[in-house]
Amino acid sequence: MKHYEVEILDAKTREKLCFLDKVEPHATIAEIKNLFTKTHPQWYPARQSLRLDPKGKSLKDEDVLQKLPVGTTATLYFRDLGAQISWVTVFLTEYAGPLFIYLLFYFRVPFIYGRKYDFTSSRHTVVHLACICHSFHYIKRLLETLFVHRFSHGTMPLRNIFKNCTYYWGFAAWMAYYINHPLYTPPTYGAQQVKLALAIFVICQLGNFSIHMALRDLRPAGSKTRKIPYPTKNPFTWLFLLVSCPNYTYEVGSWIGFAIMTQCLPVALFSLVGFTQMTIWAKGKHRSYLKEFRDYPPLRMPIIPFLL
Amino acid sequence: MAAVAATAAAKGNGGGGGRAGAGDASGTRKKKGPGPLATAYLVIYNVVMTAGWLVIAVGLVRAYLAKGSYHSLYYSIEKPLKFFQTGALLEILHCAIGIVPSSVVLTSFQVMSRVFLIWAVTHSVKESEDSVLLFVIAWTITEIIRYSFYTFSLLNHLPYLIKWARYTLFIVLYPMGVSGELLTIYAALPFVRQAGLYSISLPNKYNFSFDYYAFLILIMISYIPIFPQLYFHMIHQRRKILSHTEEHKKFE
Repeated sequence: MKHYEVEILDAKTREKLCFLDKVEPHATIAEIKNLFTKTHPQWYPARQSLRLDPKGKSLKDEDVLQKLPVGTTATLYFRDLGAQISWVTVFLTEYAGPLFIYLLFYFRVPFIYGRKYDFTSSRHTVVHLACICHSFHYIKRLLETLFVHRFSHGTMPLRNIFKNCTYYWGFAAWMAYYINHPLYTPPTYGAQQVKLALAIFVICQLGNFSIHMALRDLRPAGSKTRKIPYPTKNPFTWLFLLVSCPNYTYEVGSWIGFAIMTQCLPVALFSLVGFTQMTIWAKGKHRSYLKEFRDYPPLRMPIIPFLL
Repeated sequence: MAAVAATAAAKGNGGGGGRAGAGDASGTRKKKGPGPLATAYLVIYNVVMTAGWLVIAVGLVRAYLAKGSYHSLYYSIEKPLKFFQTGALLEILHCAIGIVPSSVVLTSFQVMSRVFLIWAVTHSVKESEDSVLLFVIAWTITEIIRYSFYTFSLLNHLPYLIKWARYTLFIVLYPMGVSGELLTIYAALPFVRQAGLYSISLPNKYNFSFDYYAFLILIMISYIPIFPQLYFHMIHQRRKILSHTEEHKKFE
């Protein structure tokens, strides 16, 4: 069996960083990354980007050495992706924050509203309902992160956790401040408005969960395969007939429901910002689906049926 | 910061940046340049803007000579200042439709901060008008140079003097503009507090509140991280572009 030699150069400076000899032909990029870490322990595999061309795309961990367009001496270029943090860690942190922060406002912890309101309770039913909904939403997200989602990437750049947490925690505090404020004004159309909004919220939460489960079932544990999602027996998944990312559709719906329920402008603004971001993601996902699958259903739009 | 940001459009040509706009030393074009129609439009746009800011400059000088003092000079150029600075919003559109190779986000930030200062501070709080002169002068000089820079770049005849001016005068004009802007916002504060300008308080049916006074203070604080970044970016650009000019003089 002929062994390969692999030299790893810095993509920017072309400096020779590492030379590996006697590499098995069927070695994967993941294994090569592990070997590279031995000589440069500060660059753990998750922060390595190896590519055939200094300006080219990163090679995948699953790629096999002998299947790459290289001779028996392969030259790979290395780029440092920067400190990495696992997706799970980021998700747990960014979701635990809002859960906890909202409750600080709900229980009117001191130094927020003024001494005479400390630890008092709102007299409006909708405020208690809103707390239940908001908490349920984030508990659901935490549980999904731990037990449902199957991530295709293990890590993301470390700076993302600061960016993401600022967004989630900041908005949670801003919304919670007004909803739990002693001067909170309940919805104009009273119980009718709250009931309708609650229905929208619950339906969309169930929908969002159904989609997450459907997506999970598409992908066996530990794999990174990608398949076209299709509607299942669960009626909530029938939205797949019309959109590529119904999980985002339902998520926007949930927040619209919450905004109507609380009649709170900051919640509406949060929904708008979230909608904008999710639309960008949905369009990207939709584009990748179209690129990868020739037979992708043409009726589907990225996030809003027929429109967007 | 509005002053800083606008000139920091070295990489990002906020105005009618032509292909040679950023003084891109190696002359590489990442995108194809604007077509002939777009180029003609951009030349006209930049010429008009240069002329507009010249009008403001001349207006200031004439008013000073006539009155002999700095007071109320703002009123003599208030209308053209509002018109031409607000007109710069078009530059966001230019980036959005792709005839100018700049980031929409960066350009929006630059133009909006200028427009904010003109309308949401100076116009809205009459009492802040006394402090305005410092940044108006800084902006006027900066914009005359910037727009003529773009004009010449689009016509592929950029005199070294203009390039030099654009990448050198900012050293004084930035701090000057920033000081003027901060002083103006600071002068507006007591009146904003007193009048409750643009502010809404609880209770109200949208469960929302906004304190414009606190907002203005936050804006002032934001200058602390943002101004040095933009300033040093320009210094870095200056080093890169003015040193390359030696090698590329033959191409101009």
